[in-house]
Amino acid sequence: MLTELETTLLGVMMMVIMLGMGASMTPRDFRIAFRKPKGILVGLLSQFAVMPFLGFMLAVLLGLPPALVVGLLLIACMPGGTTSNIFAYFSKGVLALSIMMTTVSTLVAVVMVPLLLSFYGGLAGVPAESSIPPGNVAQVLVVLLIPTIIGMVLRKLNPNIGATVELIGSFMGVVVILFLIVTWVPRNYQLLLDTGPSIYAATIGIGLSGMLFGYWVARGLGQDTNRSRTISLETGIQNGPLAVLVITLSFAPALQEDLLLIPVLYSLFIVLTSTAVTLWYRRNATREALARDAAKLGTT
Amino acid sequence: MVKDSGNKPWFAAYGNEIPTRLPDPAHRSLAALIARTCEKHATSRAFTCVVPNGMNGTLTFGQVGEMSDAFAAYLRHHCGVGPGARVAVQLPNGLAYPVVAFGVFKSGGVLVNTNPLYTRPEMIHQFNDSGAEVLVISDMFADKLADVVPRTGIRHVVLAGIPEFFPRIPETVVRGVQKLWTRSLPPIPKLDVPVQRIRQVLKIGRGLPRVTDRDAIGPDDLALLQYTGGTTGVAKGAMLTHGNILANLEQVKAMGGRHMTGQDCVLTALPLYHIFAFTANLMTFFDLGARNILVPSPRPVQNIQRALENYPVTWVTGVNTLFNGLMNEEWFAAYPPKHLKAAIAGGTALHGAVAERWQEVTGTRVAEGYGLTETAPLVSFNPLDQPVRAGSIGVPVPGTDVALVDDNADPVDPGKPGELLVKGPQVMRGYWNRPDETAKTLQNGWVFTGDVAVMDADGFLTIVDRKKDMVLVSGFNVYPNEVEDCLSLMHTVLEAAVIGVPDKGTGEAVRAYVVQNPDVEGTVTREDVIAHCRQHLAPYKVPKSVIIRDELPKSPIGKILRKDLKAEVRAEFAEKV
Repeated sequence: MLTELETTLLGVMMMVIMLGMGASMTPRDFRIAFRKPKGILVGLLSQFAVMPFLGFMLAVLLGLPPALVVGLLLIACMPGGTTSNIFAYFSKGVLALSIMMTTVSTLVAVVMVPLLLSFYGGLAGVPAESSIPPGNVAQVLVVLLIPTIIGMVLRKLNPNIGATVELIGSFMGVVVILFLIVTWVPRNYQLLLDTGPSIYAATIGIGLSGMLFGYWVARGLGQDTNRSRTISLETGIQNGPLAVLVITLSFAPALQEDLLLIPVLYSLFIVLTSTAVTLWYRRNATREALARDAAKLGTT
Repeated sequence: MVKDSGNKPWFAAYGNEIPTRLPDPAHRSLAALIARTCEKHATSRAFTCVVPNGMNGTLTFGQVGEMSDAFAAYLRHHCGVGPGARVAVQLPNGLAYPVVAFGVFKSGGVLVNTNPLYTRPEMIHQFNDSGAEVLVISDMFADKLADVVPRTGIRHVVLAGIPEFFPRIPETVVRGVQKLWTRSLPPIPKLDVPVQRIRQVLKIGRGLPRVTDRDAIGPDDLALLQYTGGTTGVAKGAMLTHGNILANLEQVKAMGGRHMTGQDCVLTALPLYHIFAFTANLMTFFDLGARNILVPSPRPVQNIQRALENYPVTWVTGVNTLFNGLMNEEWFAAYPPKHLKAAIAGGTALHGAVAERWQEVTGTRVAEGYGLTETAPLVSFNPLDQPVRAGSIGVPVPGTDVALVDDNADPVDPGKPGELLVKGPQVMRGYWNRPDETAKTLQNGWVFTGDVAVMDADGFLTIVDRKKDMVLVSGFNVYPNEVEDCLSLMHTVLEAAVIGVPDKGTGEAVRAYVVQNPDVEGTVTREDVIAHCRQHLAPYKVPKSVIIRDELPKSPIGKILRKDLKAEVRAEFAEKV
């Protein structure tokens, strides 16, 4: 489904993305954020408790075959994607919270993703030959932590290089998705036509339901509307390219096709759903700001 | 007529460190000082500009010297700007500022500092009033040029950006972000006069002969037209000479003593177009061979984070709201700057609660000073080796005489409040083209400050308030500062302002405006505020009305503007009539 060259390129691009993600903050920013960790903890909860559960429920409700279940669960368990920061910015959300959640969830993912995959994989009855070896996931994530940490240190030591790398990293996040569209879609358009509605429902549903539940979990735990919108986008937007990379590194090419279907489709469709949701959130944020201004005038 | 004070009780506070006689400046002009300093410290870093994401650019003393020479040559030979001609500079803090300002001095021109946030009518007024011939303006405000320039005598426009003189890649990134992301770079309009970027202009200047008649500039020549609004009327230009600034520089250095050295690194978050940062940061620390860390905009205060984290800052200059804002930031309170020696406060009254917290958080003191645009600016400062005197603006600096007088300009009894008058080598020549205003403010070399102060037996001054801001409640004087200071003790209050409003019963009544501290649980209520004031203040000083606001009107350096609140009140009462 993906050629060897494409897999290598994807790996290199992921390294650059992670370097850029790390470079979005310094080690001290990280320590400061954990002095008031409530927002981040709420985010982690929706990222690693709500999303995997939603993935599992969707798999059961839609009655997907095991190979597709693995892809869906993997997407559901992934940490936040770096493009979420761009969407958080455009939705007038809390950019700092979004950046912090993406990084923290990537760090926590080393432990959480293998655990969640074995748990929900077992629950969904995924056969051993198509389940992802937990060690592999952990390995990929640990390898990606190295550029993340280098990025953080770089930002501290040389902000000029650090901030440039951050920019290149977020640019690369968009490039990866374009890369998938340009190289993968033309070769597989027949597959896209043959794909059944339940698969599209799973692909689009996981992102949208993540955003919906992410929002209400955050609201329920006392976050304000603006922070809840940020957590919502962060929850729904997963690191799709990372899931693609994990699969290509874990399975022989012949086995990859079905496993990759949902992660690849997710990476394509999440751009569209996030854009729509971002526009809607942006309108709400503007309306709330106007209402606050009106209230201000009323009090004087 | 006010007489010079015979004995100077404040000399005792000088101790062995501070000279009672001000040393003569080592140079005849700022141009000479700048040229000498750039040569002496050529390879050291003079200015580093840090944008909010941490990207930065640096100029050494040698580079600043070379570039300001080129700018001076451009002004003199290309624009035909002779000695005494006015050059308006409308730039936020950045590497272009020192290059341009120093170039103006080297060309013999007069620098007209202009607030970058001025509106079109304000710009037109200031450029016409000063007779500016050249304008150096931030490219972020180029959209104002088409309306402004044709209505003034400006013949050349030079544009400079925030990331000007950064290394190539960071410059491109910051400019790209400004253009595409924040959309803060308007297109450059077509004008009848030439509009060029500073890099082009320096290129032109480098090809021209250097300005060589620098020694002709003397201490009595005009260096700055520093516009000040005062509390009423339109802005007027205080005429500050090379001698005024040079004297004030010596006065700052005398008060700083061994605590200020060429190894220092000063945070410059206050705007350089304001006289406080201009003299204290740009000129004094530069003269010492120290490094300035320039922050283009300190609002939101988060913008300062990378500057404080990434450089070994030893001094901070600021105003009450800046110190307060910093301490309310988690990153600052959790990791206060490690190398800090002290902070200098000025511009507006420093609240006791803020000074105390600063000491707690940073382990260093805030030394409060007092100054005016008209006095270039420093008048008094707290000696750094003396224990902190809460609320005092310190003692007059060497070479300065002060007097406290009543409404008839007669000296008040010792310990009693009176209007503060100042005399010294830093006092301006008067207001540009405004003999009547000059006559009101400047009499026999004394500046009437409009501030009411008291002096204790040791010569330490305390500002009671602005004469004009005093509230008269049933014949009792209430000084808003005292009430504001009391309000700032409430932990639920972020900041406060107090003014007088017309009142049928008492003539005037005290009104407080407070802003809720967002970092504190619980909301501030009207009842809390009044109950708190009743505990600390005499009944007539307790606010009769309390208004809770999201923010207070502020000047560019962060002074809370009571006059704007008063204007609102005037409008409010006009409606009722």
